[in-house]
Amino acid sequence: MEEGRARMGLKDVLPGGGTSSVTGGMFGDGSPTFLTSKIDWIINWSRRNSLWPMPFGTACCAIEMMASAASNYDLARFGMERMSFSPRQADVLICAGRVPYKLAPVLRRIWDQMPQPKWCVSMGACASSGGVFDVYSMVQGIDTIIPVDVYVPGCPPRPEGLIYGLMMIQEKIREESLSRHFEHRAEDPSLVARPHANDAQVVGLTGPFGNSTQQEELSNKESGATEEPPEELIP
Amino acid sequence: MSKRTVEFNVGRNPEMGVDGSVVDSPILPFDMPEPDLGTENMLINIGPQHPATHGVLRLVCELDGETVKRVIPHIGYLHSSFEKLGEYRTWNQIVPLTDRMDYLAPLIYNCVYVMTVEKLMGIEVTERCKVVRVICMEMDRIFSHLLWLGTTAIDVGAFTPFLYAFQERERIYQLHEAFTGARITTSATRVGGMMADLPEGWTTGLQDFLDTFPDTLEEIDHLLTRNQIHIGRSQGIGAISAEDAINSGFTGANLRACGVDYDVRKDQPYYDYETYDFEIPVGQYGDCYDRYLCRMEEMRQSVSLLRQALERLPDGPIDVEDPNISLPSKTDCMSDMESMIHHFKLITEGIPAPEGDCYMPIEGSKGELGMYIVAEEGGTKPVRWRIRPPSFVNLSVLPKLAEEHLVSDLIMINASLDIVLGEIDR
Amino acid sequence: MTLDETKAGLDAVEEGPHLSERSTGSLDGKIDDPDGHPSVVALLLRFGDSVSGHRVSAGTQHVVWIDSVRNLEVLHWLRDDQDHQYDMISDITAVDYGAGRPIDVVYQLFSTVHKRALRIRCELPLDGLEIDSVVELWSAANWLEREVYDLFGVTFRKHPDLRRILMPHDYEEGHPLRKDFPLRGRFSRAEQTRRALDQSVEHSYIAEEMDLGRDPQQAAPIIGTKDGDG
Repeated sequence: MEEGRARMGLKDVLPGGGTSSVTGGMFGDGSPTFLTSKIDWIINWSRRNSLWPMPFGTACCAIEMMASAASNYDLARFGMERMSFSPRQADVLICAGRVPYKLAPVLRRIWDQMPQPKWCVSMGACASSGGVFDVYSMVQGIDTIIPVDVYVPGCPPRPEGLIYGLMMIQEKIREESLSRHFEHRAEDPSLVARPHANDAQVVGLTGPFGNSTQQEELSNKESGATEEPPEELIP
Repeated sequence: MSKRTVEFNVGRNPEMGVDGSVVDSPILPFDMPEPDLGTENMLINIGPQHPATHGVLRLVCELDGETVKRVIPHIGYLHSSFEKLGEYRTWNQIVPLTDRMDYLAPLIYNCVYVMTVEKLMGIEVTERCKVVRVICMEMDRIFSHLLWLGTTAIDVGAFTPFLYAFQERERIYQLHEAFTGARITTSATRVGGMMADLPEGWTTGLQDFLDTFPDTLEEIDHLLTRNQIHIGRSQGIGAISAEDAINSGFTGANLRACGVDYDVRKDQPYYDYETYDFEIPVGQYGDCYDRYLCRMEEMRQSVSLLRQALERLPDGPIDVEDPNISLPSKTDCMSDMESMIHHFKLITEGIPAPEGDCYMPIEGSKGELGMYIVAEEGGTKPVRWRIRPPSFVNLSVLPKLAEEHLVSDLIMINASLDIVLGEIDR
Repeated sequence: MTLDETKAGLDAVEEGPHLSERSTGSLDGKIDDPDGHPSVVALLLRFGDSVSGHRVSAGTQHVVWIDSVRNLEVLHWLRDDQDHQYDMISDITAVDYGAGRPIDVVYQLFSTVHKRALRIRCELPLDGLEIDSVVELWSAANWLEREVYDLFGVTFRKHPDLRRILMPHDYEEGHPLRKDFPLRGRFSRAEQTRRALDQSVEHSYIAEEMDLGRDPQQAAPIIGTKDGDG
């Protein structure tokens, strides 16, 4: 692995975009210089203060997102009032609301259509982990499908919560650097339209939790249904 | 029963058919002899992620130029299986689920659910609780209609009413939060009563809202009702006759705009609605403009209902005083063992229900909202919990309404139906 | 409260209540007092042989069980007869009790003329989940019956467009609201995720839509080139 040479490869791209063997950026071996830090500062400043959100609003969180954009909480202060409904012109995908499996390919396609640089905010409990809906139809966290940068908890999170999450994205952008450009913007083309998490990760992220394990009994005890999760799940 | 036909002095196109037939409007393309070109219809997919579909709705349209020949709606993109989840939760544990269905009017859903359970169990709530629930439902009717107003206006290009409506909604959000602790997902009711009584000063807050809200409504009215663009985009669009409307299952303002004065509060009254003095606005032509007028008027009627309810709000307990149903007070729980155990048993075991089934319809903000619960003897969880969502049936009429209209009219019709995907998909 | 009672209370968390002796939904032909609801009286007179039960539920609500083979006839009469005129169908749904019991299809009717509501139930055995569709009577039944088909697997004969509505059109795990369908689904989460992200165009459109207009992925021929009319 030569130092000091820009690499274009995507070897060992991990989910989340980090890489293990790619080093360097567009300006050499990656150590910051006066010029690169000033350019970084300008680029990051302009990116974080004019983020165009892609509102992927599905349910109750979408209403709170609309309330954040309205006069009282006003996302326009952050440069985010221009909600971009076309993914091609958007910077940050705010997934607000629960995502069932029927909607999952749509979410993935929208994420794939967004050009880099892009970030993702998972707003609300349902987008982050499935929320109250540990059921057959609900994706148990959109991080099984797309890489997420910031999770905003709440059901729904208050507008201040969403704004805090967006400010965290801004902090994240502030820390970026052109010298780590390929690391930040790495995307594996073979993962287009495929889930972000592989099978083992999905199992780890989506196991039954808390109430789901105890609330299996129905009112009708002789239903004939064996309510423990099937051991041999169809793979 | 009183009803008032909403007539309005804006000239309508004299070729309008009262039976709902599509009229010649200057916006529709006129027929001209077609040159000998081969044409094909075009397939367009709108949604499920789209700003104007009011949620994750997918419309697959067949277009001839700009005219919609067929539209096939696809739903299910928000299916969260509330009904199945309800079978695994006790009666009071289901209340938080109800907020998340129609997130635009959560108190209405909270109320209708516990009303159904109470009817099944034969529980009669206290007078104070009845009036508080009427207050909650009417307040959320305004809440829901304001969002409808804002988003419909945005769909036809008017951004300002959205901001005005949301500012008013903020005030209702604050009332929600003062009462229940949450802005949207209120979970305010329990079987036999409410989660808590109204806090000090809440009625004053509501009174302040009622004093200033009608002025804002007038401002929005001023912006839209006589607005040439709004009229051009909504008069004559998406009309349906009264017989077709009833047969298709239309309810709510959609049905009343067609001239049918069906309102569950008047026809199958509950919670003393027959003793309140209010009118049902009824339209004439069944098109988008009439639906708009009906909902605007409904908001004014709700303001009047809220004022009457506030006047007659009685003192007294808010929860029914039956130890098998209502929790003991927190002070008692913390100081005495029997209350603690009583509390524990009620929370963990739940309330046993008699065998039977119960369908309870109310006038929700979108139409006739009904809940159907089937319980077994001694059951603490429902065997079947069914929600009859008004938007589901209203949306099924969309293909009929949108035929031979333009694509932009399709958007307006969709907006005027006032749908919320959370309750359609459940 | 003794310790045993407390412990019994704690056990109840896992167990749930003890149920009474199971009765069938139709009450074996038992008829409650039908007075007070003219439609029930008339129904018993006219279709008495098809009525398998009647009950007054929740205090005031009349429920009548009808043979499922005659549902269309009975509902047709209820809709059109001048004294009853149930012109609005509020709801069509189904109830699965589990444990091999029949599935009930429930029709909730309302008459805007006479301001009366009535509930009709039809029992369907698990090996014969078919019933006539009532779309010809009320067009609201179109989507309502599709939902019952989707979630319970009840087939409605002569329904114009019987396909899934809430679940994806090619959903293979079964019919979700049945009692033998587990809450978290039959497939593992990984399998559900993978199936969901099947990205072919044909996956998103139903067969009928693929015939609408032109094939959406096909580019229009450019006039003047050898692909076009030239």
